[in-house]
Amino acid sequence: MRDADPSTNEREFLLAALKDGARIDGRKFYDFRTLRLTFGAEYGAVEVQLGNTRVLAKVSCEVIRPYTDKPTEGFLMFNTELSPMASAAFEVGRQTDEEVLVSRLIEKAMRRSRALDTEGLCIVAGEKVWSIRVDIHFLDHDGNLVDAACIAAITALLHFRRPDVTVVGEDVTIHTLEQRNPVPLSIHHIPICTTFAFFNNGERMVVDPTFLEEQVKEGDMTITLNVHKEVCALSKAGGIPMEIDQILQCTKVAVVKVAEITAQIQAALEADAKNQIARK
Amino acid sequence: MSRLDRTRTSAHQLRPFFSSQNLLNRADGSAQFDFGESSVMCSVVGPAEVKLRDEKLDKATIEVVVRPLVGLPGIKDKAREQAIRETLEPLILSGLHPRTGIQIVIQTMKDDGSILATAFNATILALLDAGIPLKSILGAVTCIVDAETNQILLDPTTQELANAKSTHTFVFDNKSSITSDSKQEDKEAVEVATLYSDSTGLFSEEEYFECAQICYKAVQAVHGFIRTAVQKKLEKEQQQIHS
Repeated sequence: MRDADPSTNEREFLLAALKDGARIDGRKFYDFRTLRLTFGAEYGAVEVQLGNTRVLAKVSCEVIRPYTDKPTEGFLMFNTELSPMASAAFEVGRQTDEEVLVSRLIEKAMRRSRALDTEGLCIVAGEKVWSIRVDIHFLDHDGNLVDAACIAAITALLHFRRPDVTVVGEDVTIHTLEQRNPVPLSIHHIPICTTFAFFNNGERMVVDPTFLEEQVKEGDMTITLNVHKEVCALSKAGGIPMEIDQILQCTKVAVVKVAEITAQIQAALEADAKNQIARK
Repeated sequence: MSRLDRTRTSAHQLRPFFSSQNLLNRADGSAQFDFGESSVMCSVVGPAEVKLRDEKLDKATIEVVVRPLVGLPGIKDKAREQAIRETLEPLILSGLHPRTGIQIVIQTMKDDGSILATAFNATILALLDAGIPLKSILGAVTCIVDAETNQILLDPTTQELANAKSTHTFVFDNKSSITSDSKQEDKEAVEVATLYSDSTGLFSEEEYFECAQICYKAVQAVHGFIRTAVQKKLEKEQQQIHS
């Protein structure tokens, strides 16, 4: 089922409100929606709620043979298949343009930025390496799937613990969870995506668009930064042309947002770590 | 006796239930159901537009999509899709909505065994939340026959499933009922309407019917829980309307 276009009333009201300096959900232009992180009982499961957008990420690992030309590198795989649960517009088996874009952005932000150290996943060079798999499930689509997915993915990777391994010569022992405490992954930095939507002939830029705002937007841009003010990825695929000053302005806003979100993620992880200890 | 998950003491004890309804905004109805640490979320969209090739002239077309927690959907998920769809088709009053589609999407949120039974229960709650007309309510539960002790264990965890000689999933509706008269119990057990029964492993006929009996009694608790959950939701909605 295709999504119905917004009615003329909705569209005009949204654009007029933006021109007057307001967003219809009451947020300021550079405000993210309320971010809620919920961890599962097992390591590597996190549910992210960004307003009404809901994403679930689950990390799992397995031991496999590495590529022959890269014998010391482990694997990191992302699965971002959109299911009809998030929106009836997503069909099983058929990839929409949006799905392709979300998938590519996550790959660029997470994998290409070397957030996870794949060399650290090596067990025995040329024979055994860890393959880390991140399954991202979209449960509810109310705009800005990319940012929510990125937060879910990196938080799940930070939360995940892989089984401890001892290598004595040729002998590899993978300890079960009862034998030894599992080990966290080595994550170099925390990339966070910030998506901007453009309106009113390129004059208005808003952060974290809702679904309605996405339907009405003229263009969009996603900047992936980390806390150290390093740009991991920048994606502006088409849409209305924007001036350089505006792009730089967006980057400045993104720096602030990324710092806030990273602090929130780390606080949530610490709180969950305490809960885990209390539970045991 | 102490079960492997250490929170239960009896072989015929279910894990604690948890459910939540109307969670998603895009779907017409949604629900999450938990059996202990197994959690499944279900979304229902319908009656809605359906592709011309899937259209049925006198009934609604029911589509079920099952998504696993880890990995891409495989044969196991396709089998679950078929099981759920074929069990629901006679239950949903699809004749009331001809030439439309009802799409049911099931997502495993946490996996600790008995996923199919959890999925069935989540689905029926989501259908109720969406307001899809139904003939009756179903309730599902899994049981295993332990390989070592030959005991029948209800609602197994993943750990317990690994030691199972045979696994049985039963789905019963809430229309037929057994009177609590213990004398008639054996006779009436055969008259219960079983909506779905799936068994794997090695088992005898007696074991199968004993499992069915035990599961039937457990499903009454599931039905009671579903009733309470929907009642509470409606009470809350009434309060919101009148406040």
